[in-house]
Amino acid sequence: MDNDREIVDRNKREGSGLALDTWAVLVALALALAVRFHIFKAIPW
Amino acid sequence: MSTSVSVPVAAVESQNPLSRVLRLIPGILLLAAIGYAGKVIEKSVNTYAKLHHVPFPNIEYVLWAIVIGLVISNLLTIPKMFLPGIATYEFWLKIGIVLLGSRFVLADVWKLGGISLGLVVVEIAISLALMTFLGRLFKLKPKLTTLLAIGSSVCGVSAIIAAKGAIDADDEDSSFAIAAILALGALALFTFPVIGHGLHMNDASYGLWAGLGVDNTAEATAAGALYSDAAGKMAVLAKTTRNAMIGFVVLGYAIYWAKRGQGTNVSNKALFLWKKFPKFVLGFLLISLLVSFHFFDKGEVTSLANLSRWAFLLTFAGVGLRTNFRDMSKQGLRPFIVGALGEVLIAALTLGLVLGAHRVWGL
Repeated sequence: MDNDREIVDRNKREGSGLALDTWAVLVALALALAVRFHIFKAIPW
Repeated sequence: MSTSVSVPVAAVESQNPLSRVLRLIPGILLLAAIGYAGKVIEKSVNTYAKLHHVPFPNIEYVLWAIVIGLVISNLLTIPKMFLPGIATYEFWLKIGIVLLGSRFVLADVWKLGGISLGLVVVEIAISLALMTFLGRLFKLKPKLTTLLAIGSSVCGVSAIIAAKGAIDADDEDSSFAIAAILALGALALFTFPVIGHGLHMNDASYGLWAGLGVDNTAEATAAGALYSDAAGKMAVLAKTTRNAMIGFVVLGYAIYWAKRGQGTNVSNKALFLWKKFPKFVLGFLLISLLVSFHFFDKGEVTSLANLSRWAFLLTFAGVGLRTNFRDMSKQGLRPFIVGALGEVLIAALTLGLVLGAHRVWGL
């Protein structure tokens, strides 16, 4: 069943799911430092 | 639940890192295009309404992005090349939450997070008891009941996935529970703001309610942002507080099922808690700490807040794209009824809690 496949996929991602969390934190911190040290100019919205 | 956006992990893993990243690009571009289209539509509609003096409510880009995504996923078939990139919406969600920490100084987190934590503990206790009661009443399988209870009390899909392995639940039960939680989350997106406006709730109270009452983090964030920017901020704080409790609840159930010989024994409880703890909560607190100690100046804080908004823009497009009503309707009716009954009652109870908190603490 397709849903089962998604569960398996999600479980695999969860194995690396914590890694996904960690990656998200690392990328966010890298972006924050890039803003702090003016690698990025002001980010508009 | 949309099955069309599942990531064929095995296929992706077999490729080298560069091609794995390249495979994500079409879907990410689609998320960006839909999210940006939502932003352009919001601005265009508002400009038109102002110029022509047409009374028209301000509809946030969030709703436009979700609706465009819903239309695409439910009326069209999304080509496979977009699927891996679409599935990254959870990644952008977490980046958005971490960067949102820039909009809270620690004193805010301490005060509002403290109120949230108190309400979260009450909400979790009520939700677990209520869903367990309803599951027994409707004679659902015990582990399906457990998954629904965890999903509705803590944090939706992530909690169900985390619990599935811990209590040795089968795939079918997890599919049912996830489908019910996602379907109800989609409904909450449209009902919560209407109720909030109907009750004239202020931003803080409504945001707190959305964070407590909507289960999945992406939907809770969207439900808050649909109301207002300030409500979205509060919804994320309350939802993040709920997310932080995931390990404790899953650990409790893991021990419960292991004692009945139907689950895996947890030998190292501290390690278990650490593994289940959502790390983006720490990132959120770290950014908040840095802002509190003036590591960033005012302009930089604005830039971080805007980066967070861009990340959420991709997330909201993904929420619409992964919601497929046809797939949801294929799931069993009984788990959905239990989920729906439970969610309505939990929404009503959390609304009561928030209104009470508003009177006591003046949110």
